[in-house]
Amino acid sequence: MIQFLLKGILRDKSRSILPIIIVSAGVFLTVLLSGYMKGVFGDVIDQSARFDTGHVKVMSRAYAENIDQLPNDLALLGVTEIVGSLKNQYPEMDWVKRIKFGGLIDVIDKEGNSKGQGPVAGLSFELFSGTGKEIKRMNIEKSIVIGRVPLKPNEALISNEFAQKLNLSIGDEVTYIGSTMNGSMAFSVFKICGTITFGVAQMDRGSIIIDVSDAQKILDMEDGAGEILGFQRNDIYQVEEAELISDKFNASYASDPDEFAPMMVSLQKQNDLEFMINYSNSISAILIGFFIFAMSLVLWNTGLLSGLRRYKEFGIRLALGEAKGQIYRTFTYEAIIVGIIGSVIGTVLGVSAVYYLQVVGIDISGMLDQLSSSMMMPSVLRGKITPNLFYIGFVPGLLAMVLGNMLSGLGIYKRQTATLMKELEV
Amino acid sequence: MKYTIVLFIVFLGLSKSQAQDAIKILQKVDANMASESRIVETKMIINGKRNSRTVISKGYSTGIDKSFTEYLSPDREKGTKMLKLDNRLWIYSPDTDRTIQLSGHMLRQSVMGSDLSYEDMMEDRKLLEIYNASFIGEEILDGRKVWVLQLDAKVEDVSYVKRKTWIDQERYVPLKEELFAKSGQLLKTTTLSDVKKIEGRWFPTKMIYKDELKSGDGTHFEFVSIEFNKEIPDYIFSKASLKK
Amino acid sequence: MKLAFQLAYKNLVGSGLKTWLNVLVLAIAFLTIIFFNGFIDGWHNQAKLDSEEWEIGGGHILNNNYDSSDPFTIQDGHGPILTNEANGLTPILFRQGTIYPSGRMYSALIKGIDVNQNTLKIPTNLLKESAADIPAIIGKRYAKSSKLKVGDEVLMRWRDKNGTFDASNITIVGIFDSNVPTIDVGQIWMPIKKLWEITGLENEATMFVANVGYTSTKMEGWNFQSKEDLLSSLTRIIESKKASGSIMYIFLMGIALLAIFDTQVLSIFRRQREIGTYISLGMTRLQVVKLFTVEGSMYSILATLLGTILGIPLFGYVARTGIGIPEASQNQGVTISDTIYPAFGIGLILSTIILIILSSTIVSFLPARKIAKMDPVNALKGKIQ
Repeated sequence: MIQFLLKGILRDKSRSILPIIIVSAGVFLTVLLSGYMKGVFGDVIDQSARFDTGHVKVMSRAYAENIDQLPNDLALLGVTEIVGSLKNQYPEMDWVKRIKFGGLIDVIDKEGNSKGQGPVAGLSFELFSGTGKEIKRMNIEKSIVIGRVPLKPNEALISNEFAQKLNLSIGDEVTYIGSTMNGSMAFSVFKICGTITFGVAQMDRGSIIIDVSDAQKILDMEDGAGEILGFQRNDIYQVEEAELISDKFNASYASDPDEFAPMMVSLQKQNDLEFMINYSNSISAILIGFFIFAMSLVLWNTGLLSGLRRYKEFGIRLALGEAKGQIYRTFTYEAIIVGIIGSVIGTVLGVSAVYYLQVVGIDISGMLDQLSSSMMMPSVLRGKITPNLFYIGFVPGLLAMVLGNMLSGLGIYKRQTATLMKELEV
Repeated sequence: MKYTIVLFIVFLGLSKSQAQDAIKILQKVDANMASESRIVETKMIINGKRNSRTVISKGYSTGIDKSFTEYLSPDREKGTKMLKLDNRLWIYSPDTDRTIQLSGHMLRQSVMGSDLSYEDMMEDRKLLEIYNASFIGEEILDGRKVWVLQLDAKVEDVSYVKRKTWIDQERYVPLKEELFAKSGQLLKTTTLSDVKKIEGRWFPTKMIYKDELKSGDGTHFEFVSIEFNKEIPDYIFSKASLKK
Repeated sequence: MKLAFQLAYKNLVGSGLKTWLNVLVLAIAFLTIIFFNGFIDGWHNQAKLDSEEWEIGGGHILNNNYDSSDPFTIQDGHGPILTNEANGLTPILFRQGTIYPSGRMYSALIKGIDVNQNTLKIPTNLLKESAADIPAIIGKRYAKSSKLKVGDEVLMRWRDKNGTFDASNITIVGIFDSNVPTIDVGQIWMPIKKLWEITGLENEATMFVANVGYTSTKMEGWNFQSKEDLLSSLTRIIESKKASGSIMYIFLMGIALLAIFDTQVLSIFRRQREIGTYISLGMTRLQVVKLFTVEGSMYSILATLLGTILGIPLFGYVARTGIGIPEASQNQGVTISDTIYPAFGIGLILSTIILIILSSTIVSFLPARKIAKMDPVNALKGKIQ
């Protein structure tokens, strides 16, 4: 029966192509939109995850207590072991070390005298890891004004404004002066390999970006790190999972009284982000709900239309003696098949499009001012693949479409065999 | 920190002669402790929040305006050198082979994580040039009879307007010093102990330096060796010697 | 034309529920666009207002030696207040200090401000009314990170003009709640006269905040920064939000227009006989095309009507009560108030209406073109073409 219907659908283009196209298009749009909304509303959270909080963050208890002061003296030590065991337990997550620090940059002239100094905020990422994940995550490549990402030890990116102020160009050497984890004077010479714009005045004034191994070296933090950030699969935040992971992690250290023992905090427990998450979730749910409603109307129409188109066909079939129930059933089954085919196609297309948005994004920098592509202010809008994208399209695609078909199909029962011939004008 | 004891001791010393008890006491202290030049090896124990570190350094100084320090351990600090000439301070780091002159904000940083700032080492005027000394009493401190002297700034541009110092009556060595803010708030305390006879003079070989506003144990200094009035060649006090 | 409208209206209303569903979809799209834009405009207006009220006033006049990006310049970046030019200017003196709440060390930027000022909303009256020796107010963010409360005394260390250390307890006499993080984080506000007294920098200021409406006069040694200069980074953030919103409108309108398009296709398909009848009664094809196009765009007219009926009370309510914003948004360092009152401007509403009517007319016209190609005889017969 199903095979028969399938053949019918495939061979009769008027029965298949238009409805499938419309259903696919509708489902595609719904999925795309939902993914896009998730991405846009997750923006703030995403930014906070990338820049600061991770999806989960591991730090020492004492560090967490004084986190506002960048207390590297309280940083975690023995991080290789911690990261190793985290990677073992949660191999699907990306665990990275980060160190933030402060200090001074000193520029010398040819005679070796200081020709300029300025305070800097230092950021260090795993730039040399070979995965390029942190580079991509922080949008570093796109934020570079001139030059490139650091590739080897003692290379650094500095903020463009700062470079101009100190009259620095690529290849120049600067001396970083700061204090180590122990409070000793930290000295290091860095070669400028590029300049970067963040789009946030505070950071554009003076920042330096180096690899985390360099930061460990200059700050005397052997096997230490201020923070270990964990990012979930595809950099998408899964609230419950993050909670579970952090609860489990903290439970394993519960009996350790050491104030430098590690502790894990999930994203929503940091910086009061919890309310923010709930808030954006509910807003995007309302909007997505609306899209589904609108799309259902469209596809409902499609269902009605197909019932109408085949008015004559049903007449003939009735005239040939097919039972009304039989016709109605086949009609409904066909709708289900078309709905499934359309929804599957639409979902596949939609999810791919969202994936594209997630990876490549829509560049809106053309709509913005010159200071557009920057790390802090995402000028590329991104979608986000979430599990519900895989079924959400079936609501309008299958449910609404079939319902529309079934309603219009009810007309079959109203038809009188006596007037059939007249109607058919045969 | 070596500098402080050097400055501290030297400040107490050289002064214009004034007919006051306090000044006489300070002059005697100076006679006991000051020298043309000195070469010292010091151990600094810095009590951090999670560990203690010991930094060993060797210092050369003549007068109060020239000093040169080389760090010997730990490994990370080894080879780091500091040169102070009058009111300028340079630091050389062997890893980077760079010499940086510290100025402004940097001078307020703590030295090697201790309770002492670079700026604390920079004051190079003689104590009695900038302070009026007065005798305020006698006490028993750690079982020793001491005089208590108060120093009040007579010029405006000083870091601390008021100091109080406790001098051992028998040995003429300072045992304690307190530094005050304008408001009278105690800011820093220095405690000196383990007074030993070296080359015929009494000398405190241990010292605890503490920032009173911060919680913590303060920073401990210990003189491992001291040599007085040894000839120090002039090239030591040049920028070139930093790189050697 | 009038006939077309009448017919279109009758046809639409005649087809009942389905029309209204389409109209509803379009109306919701209409409302959402207006709402979102209004929200962002509201945020922008408020953020601008907050920044002006708390931080910017009518612009800043900075001492030439002071560079707001370089904390090292605080030391020397100040100059004497020139009284004859100081009309409408509120002087602020910056000094660096350190506070020690229970043995912990926090660096702070001490800002001395004229307590009689009313240019900024910073509650300087609390400083004026306080009997404390050194009264100070701080923002809620700094209060949170330093764990200080109103009434707390905390030891502060600073240096006077000669670099001499001084330290004393200051009394927190107020914690203000401002949406502007840049006047809060790491800052302690105290009476400028007190700061002069304790630092010896009599009659000195790092900067002035101008009154709203202040017109810049060239002052030797001082540098005027207009309101617009100071607001530029905020403007940039708003622009990016608007751009990301506009992509949402495209999707939203896409769906609503797809609904109209679909309905048009359906109705043209269904009503071939009617079309044939019109033509046989003497209407030109163009007139029929026009009729159907008008019918389609009628959706948008009804939608704007419905939108207005729904929107006026809804938006009126929202504009009065505002929308709560999670506190975390403020922690991103961007000025955003905890309640945003959307701003629904006439221009915004009119342009959205025009956009909707125009686009739905185009979408209705596209399938209606087909009519022009129909064979009227077959159409009359109701034969599918």
